[in-house]
Amino acid sequence: MLSRFWAVVAALLAALMFTSSSFGQNGPKGWPDAKENRRAIAEKDKKPEPRHSIAGLWANTREGNQAKGVQLHPNDGKPENQPPYTPYGLQLYKSHKALEGFDAVGPAYTNDPRVKCEPLGLPRYNHYDLGIRIYQDENSVAILYQYDNRWRIIWTDGRPLPKLLDGGVEINGDYQEQRWMGYSVGKWVDDTTLQVQTVGTMPEDRVWLDNTGRPISEQVHITETFRRLDNDTLEWSEVLDDPKIFTKPWKTLDITMRAQDPRVDILTRYCSPKEIETYNKSYGDSVSGK
Amino acid sequence: MRNKLGVIFAFAVGLMASIPLSAHHGAAAIYDSQTISLKGTVKSWLWSNPHCLLTFDVKGEDGKVVEWVAETQAPSTIYSMGFRKDSFKPGDEVTVTLQPAKNERPNGRLLSAVLADGTKIGNARGEGGRGGRGGDEAN
Repeated sequence: MLSRFWAVVAALLAALMFTSSSFGQNGPKGWPDAKENRRAIAEKDKKPEPRHSIAGLWANTREGNQAKGVQLHPNDGKPENQPPYTPYGLQLYKSHKALEGFDAVGPAYTNDPRVKCEPLGLPRYNHYDLGIRIYQDENSVAILYQYDNRWRIIWTDGRPLPKLLDGGVEINGDYQEQRWMGYSVGKWVDDTTLQVQTVGTMPEDRVWLDNTGRPISEQVHITETFRRLDNDTLEWSEVLDDPKIFTKPWKTLDITMRAQDPRVDILTRYCSPKEIETYNKSYGDSVSGK
Repeated sequence: MRNKLGVIFAFAVGLMASIPLSAHHGAAAIYDSQTISLKGTVKSWLWSNPHCLLTFDVKGEDGKVVEWVAETQAPSTIYSMGFRKDSFKPGDEVTVTLQPAKNERPNGRLLSAVLADGTKIGNARGEGGRGGRGGDEAN
C-alpha cells in the first residue's frame, strides 16, 4: 500500500516537473535572428497605429548613422546645408576639430569630446547610431539609445517645461542644474503624435551637436515630434532653437523609422577609453601624421 | 568551444544587423581614394574596437622591409565581410588591398585581403554587408 502511495507521489512529481518544463519552453525559443532593417509594410498589410503609443524597437539602417552630420543637413560644404550661425556659433564651429565632415582632421588632432568617452548629450544622441528602444507608461516615455547604453525620460504626466535659466533651469521655484539629457516634457497633440520639448542641456564647452563639430549650447530649446504613422512606422523630427548658436530655428531631423522585432537584443556599444588609447597609440597618431 | 564562440559572435553580429553602427572617423580626410595591393607577411592582427589593425611587413624591390599598419572597421562590422578574430596569424603570407594614407606613411584603410590559401575576405568598399555603415566616409 505504502509503495503504491509513493508511486503515485512520484508520478505526480514527474507530471509537475514535466509541466514546469513545458511552461519554461512556452516563450520564444532562443535568441531571435535579427533581420535586415525592415522594409516598409505593404499598404494591404498595414496594421493601424495604436493610440498614444510610440513604444517599440525602431531603426533606420542608413539614415540613423548620420556620420556626415545631422540627418537633414550633412556637413558637405554646400551652402544649403550650412547652419544659420550667429558669429559666436561660427567661431565655435571653427574651433572644433572633427573626425567627420568635409573639413575633418585625423584622429590625433580631434577635440571631439566623444573620443574621450564623454557623454554625447542631447541632442547629439539623436544624431548618432539610431537604433532606439522606447518604453512608456502612463507617466513617461523612456528612450534607450544604443551608443554607450544611455537613456532619457520624457515626462508625459502634464508637468510644465522647466524655465530655462543661465546655467540651469527653474523647477517649482528652485534652481536645478544642467543635465546631459536636459529636462523633457511631452504632450499628445492627437492620438498618434507626441510633441516633446527639452531645455536645460549641457553647455557648448561640453557637447557638440554632431560628428562634424557643429556646436550647440545650453540655451537650446529642442522640439521633437514623434508621429506613429501605422503600427510599424514612426516619424521623428527635431527643430533646434538656440539663439546663442543659430540666428533662427534649424530643423535637423526628419527620419522615418521601421519597427524591428521587439525581442531583438541590441548589442551594447560602450565607449572604452582604453580601446581609444590603444588605437591612437598603435595607429591613429601615425595616420594623422603626428 | 570555438564553434560555440563563433555561433555566439554570429548572433551578436546578427543582432547588430538591424541597428546602425557607429562611425569613429571619416576616410576622405586621411586616405587616398585610389587603392593599392601589397604582398607581405603578417606580424599581428588586433581584433578590437573602434578599429581592427593588421600589421604586416612588406619587402620592397630594393630588399628593404617596411612595416605597414592597416585599419579596418570594428569587429561587429567586418564580421559580415568574412573577417574573424583568427583571420591572420603571425608569419602568414597575405596580399592586402588598401587605400594608403595621404601623408605617405605606411598606413592604410584595409578594404580586402587574400590569405595564403587563396581565401578572400573583405570587399572593394571596405564596408560591412548587413547593417553596414551609413555613409561612404564612415569608417
